[in-house]
Amino acid sequence: MSLLTDTAGAHAPRQTSKTAPRGPRDSRLSVIAATGFLVVIAVYMLLPVFWLIVAATKSQGDLVDSFGLWFSDFQLFDNLRALFAKQDGVYLPWLLNSLLYAGAGAAVGTLLSAMAGYALAKYRFRGREFLFSVVLGGVLVPATALALPLFLLFAEVDATNTFWSVFLPSIVSPFGVYLSRIFAAASVPDELLEAARIDGAGELRTFFTMSLRLMSPAMVTIFLFQFVVIWNNFLLPLVMLQDDRLYPVTLGLFTWQSQVSRDPSLQILSLTGSLVSVVPIVITFLVLQRYWKAGLAAGAVKS
Amino acid sequence: MSLRTHRPAFRRALVALVALPLLATAACGGSGTEDGASGEQATCEKSDGKVKLTYWSWIPGVDKAVAEWNRQNPDIQVTVKSTPTGNTGTYQNMSNALKAGNAPDLGQIEYDSLASFRLQEGLTDIASCAGVKEAQGDFVDWTWSQVTFGADGKDGVWAVPQDTGPMALFYRKDLFEKHGIAVPKTWDEYYEAAKKLKKADPKAYMTHFSQTDPNWFSGLLWQKGANMFAQEGDAWKVDVDSPAAGEVADYWQKMIDEKLVATDLQGFSPALHKAWNNGEVATWVSAAWGYSTIRDNAKATAGKWAVAPMPQWSAGENKAGNWGGSTTAVMGKSKHPYEAAQFALWLNTDPKALEILNREGGLYPAATAGLELAALKKPVDFYDGQTVFDVFADASKNVTTDWTFGPTMTDTYRFMGDGIAGALGGQGTLEDALRTADAKTVDSLEKQSLEVAK
Amino acid sequence: MTADPIAATASPPAQTAPAPVPARRRRNWAPVFFLLPFFVPFVLFTLVPVGYAFYQSLLKTERTGGTFGRKTTVFAGLDQYKEVLGDAEFLGSVGRVLVFGLVQIPVMLLLALVLALLLDSTVARLKRFFRIAYFVPYGIPGVIAALMWAFLYDPRLSPIVDLLDKAGSAPDFLGSSMMLWSIGNVVTWTYTGYNMLIIYAALQAVPSDIYEAARMDGASEATIAWRIKVPILRPALILTGVFSIIGTLQLFTEPQVLRSISTSVTSTYTPNLAAYSLASANNYSEAAAMSVTLALATFVLSFGFLKLTGRKAES
Repeated sequence: MSLLTDTAGAHAPRQTSKTAPRGPRDSRLSVIAATGFLVVIAVYMLLPVFWLIVAATKSQGDLVDSFGLWFSDFQLFDNLRALFAKQDGVYLPWLLNSLLYAGAGAAVGTLLSAMAGYALAKYRFRGREFLFSVVLGGVLVPATALALPLFLLFAEVDATNTFWSVFLPSIVSPFGVYLSRIFAAASVPDELLEAARIDGAGELRTFFTMSLRLMSPAMVTIFLFQFVVIWNNFLLPLVMLQDDRLYPVTLGLFTWQSQVSRDPSLQILSLTGSLVSVVPIVITFLVLQRYWKAGLAAGAVKS
Repeated sequence: MSLRTHRPAFRRALVALVALPLLATAACGGSGTEDGASGEQATCEKSDGKVKLTYWSWIPGVDKAVAEWNRQNPDIQVTVKSTPTGNTGTYQNMSNALKAGNAPDLGQIEYDSLASFRLQEGLTDIASCAGVKEAQGDFVDWTWSQVTFGADGKDGVWAVPQDTGPMALFYRKDLFEKHGIAVPKTWDEYYEAAKKLKKADPKAYMTHFSQTDPNWFSGLLWQKGANMFAQEGDAWKVDVDSPAAGEVADYWQKMIDEKLVATDLQGFSPALHKAWNNGEVATWVSAAWGYSTIRDNAKATAGKWAVAPMPQWSAGENKAGNWGGSTTAVMGKSKHPYEAAQFALWLNTDPKALEILNREGGLYPAATAGLELAALKKPVDFYDGQTVFDVFADASKNVTTDWTFGPTMTDTYRFMGDGIAGALGGQGTLEDALRTADAKTVDSLEKQSLEVAK
Repeated sequence: MTADPIAATASPPAQTAPAPVPARRRRNWAPVFFLLPFFVPFVLFTLVPVGYAFYQSLLKTERTGGTFGRKTTVFAGLDQYKEVLGDAEFLGSVGRVLVFGLVQIPVMLLLALVLALLLDSTVARLKRFFRIAYFVPYGIPGVIAALMWAFLYDPRLSPIVDLLDKAGSAPDFLGSSMMLWSIGNVVTWTYTGYNMLIIYAALQAVPSDIYEAARMDGASEATIAWRIKVPILRPALILTGVFSIIGTLQLFTEPQVLRSISTSVTSTYTPNLAAYSLASANNYSEAAAMSVTLALATFVLSFGFLKLTGRKAES
């Protein structure tokens, strides 16, 4: 079915009824045990987040002096006001930059990955496996390792400290190509392509009108992962950018955190800023989750 | 006061992230053969027409001083870029920019990093620029020896001193009085005071000893005259584990062994600030800029701290160490060294500029004229009205001049930090730490193809 | 990197999938059109920099004259690699992350698997909430995450240590015996949700009629999970395994942040820290060699892991 699952019969159509009704065999006990376990893990996952929320409501002094897991003097709104006012209100541009880098970068990157993965899965040509191997090699290279050579490259064409110097490298996602190939192989039946060709549809049209839609669940996954990767990457912008109006939010917070001992108020502001910066991630996830669910179901094409 | 010099705990962590460059940084090393300006007397001539200069600095409010310069000098316009502190990324960015050929004309560089930038051929020798050599008398002696690498200008002048971190003893006056402890004048008295404090309050520590601040420890060595480096002819002499340094190490090892100092509190960490607020830690041997670190992070203790001269190794002496401080350097390959040098001199000697830098950025000036600033003569509220800067002004004059930082100081600090961490964790001693740091520093110099005197 | 590690061994279906539609002349341009937009930036922004790093690792600095000297960069062949392989601290750091990986990766993946299975099963409630709850840690920037945990580990600041102390005794999270596992906890916390999502996505792709038959035969949910789903998930687990191996060898952010509050982490605690330390001291060539060595080690390990799991699959 896909490289992710080990079922035979690669293109067996999926059933749409993933949300099978609850089996009668699900005893109350197992429901409680299972949900209980999930709750315990959720507490583990969310406890530090809760700490962050609590911290963001405190004054600088209370941050170290009061009990970390409960509220003391509630100052969230003061902190938020200070956050958005600090340094002539630079935080909001940071947030918007991040959305642009991550949102547009992931969108373009996903499309490029989908095209490449589709080509690698659906066309037979010389050097195909070699190209795929090179892409896989690229998966092994940590993005962090590329920042400096990239800086020198961009300096050659005098393009450092620009939006493009951060944006362009971000659109490359070998992992995305890898996943796309898997999913294209699994979710775009050759029969369908053949039928489209017989109908006289061009390759491009077939891809953009049909294949892309079939691959949409995979693309949502790729988009989500790449969005987060770009969002969290601050090394590349750090190396590339000098103008703090171009900073993404992670780099901005990092810079603040680095100046904490000179300006202690930055401690609470960088924590508040971190909390605020998680919100777009959560929203993105929630929004995508809907498409994702729908996409997964839709991926079960009739063939 | 500008904290740019020390490496606060979290900050230092962050630093690392910055440079994650691994391959990356790696990749950009000395790309190809570079014929840098090192050792060459740059011709320093005035450029024709209007000149634009770029300057990187992390002093808060430095833009106000720059604006003043731009107003007075319409033909030499300076654009300042506010950057993260040196070790958190700016140095890395400067190195990268030097390699890429788009470095700024001027940069803020700390004393302990100057040699490393010179080694990278990242500095311009401004000795032949008008007014530079003559400026020597305007600065506290030891700072000039730092920017000339001890050669008194014969080997070039590589930067203009900006601010300093003369060291003194911050102590909790209230706790000392409560427990009947006299302010220690010598290190022996400091040790006795530590014992007395522990006896009076078993939970209290005399101070914290942090593995994240090896440059603090080197400030202590500086006071002792335990020079870690020297230039001998064409070779470097490495003496990190000199007998004098050994004495300092043994002294603090004793403090650690007797649990008189906190070994689990790292510099500039929230935990340390909490311990200050709680009265768990009673003193801090620190630099002039430290006055605002305590003031801003231990608000609960307002009025309870005082400042005294650094304890001495022999009674009657009056020696101080230095921790931090930085320079304004004309970077390598600047096209306008003359104009850049003029700006650097103005920024760090002009009374108006000094006043702005002190007011906005809290700089403790390297210029002797700066020590006379009105703001540095005033009583400070947080220290219960004590005129604390008098103490630092004295200290500043008593910092010994023949201290040399090595050209791979980042490595040396790192080796010291690792060794100190071991000693604090009960593996090995500080003396071991120095011995290992010495051997590894030699190794690190040799890897840079530098000659090491045996 | 000419082998095809992941696809070759982890993904029999791709290899055995029906042959792609035979190319016809009029379609010859199509793959080029689809591939170019990715490969142009891929070459420019990935392959060229990597090649440059490798080139750098073959150089060394020489100087002439004076205590600072004049710098020339000369070709040194594999000299830097000799240094790296003779560096006991570097080798020690590799050993440390291997031990770390042997424990942390199985724990994390097992947890991710169980969570994914539970969320895919019929017994759990509130699935939407849990899915997002588990994913949130991955959305928090690494620096901030490590910083938060630093607050939670520090004996003077941590509410958790506080509570544990009251309940009896708290472990010394920052002590040298605990440190590796304290780091492991941060990594597990961050990446479990991410791995869970990959596994969960794979589960979603499985036709549910496969389970129906089993249900008909009276199999319980647990039986279906362990007997049917887990074997099906094999490739997904292998994939997450490979990524975890890569991530483990690259370990950096967490130890680096915790280093600022604990004496248990040295500057050469992990291979990446060691390389970073070299690079920040301007010893670029050796740092490059260290990074290349590490990348090769990563490759060998990932490949070995794939071989191993692949062979088992066949037997």
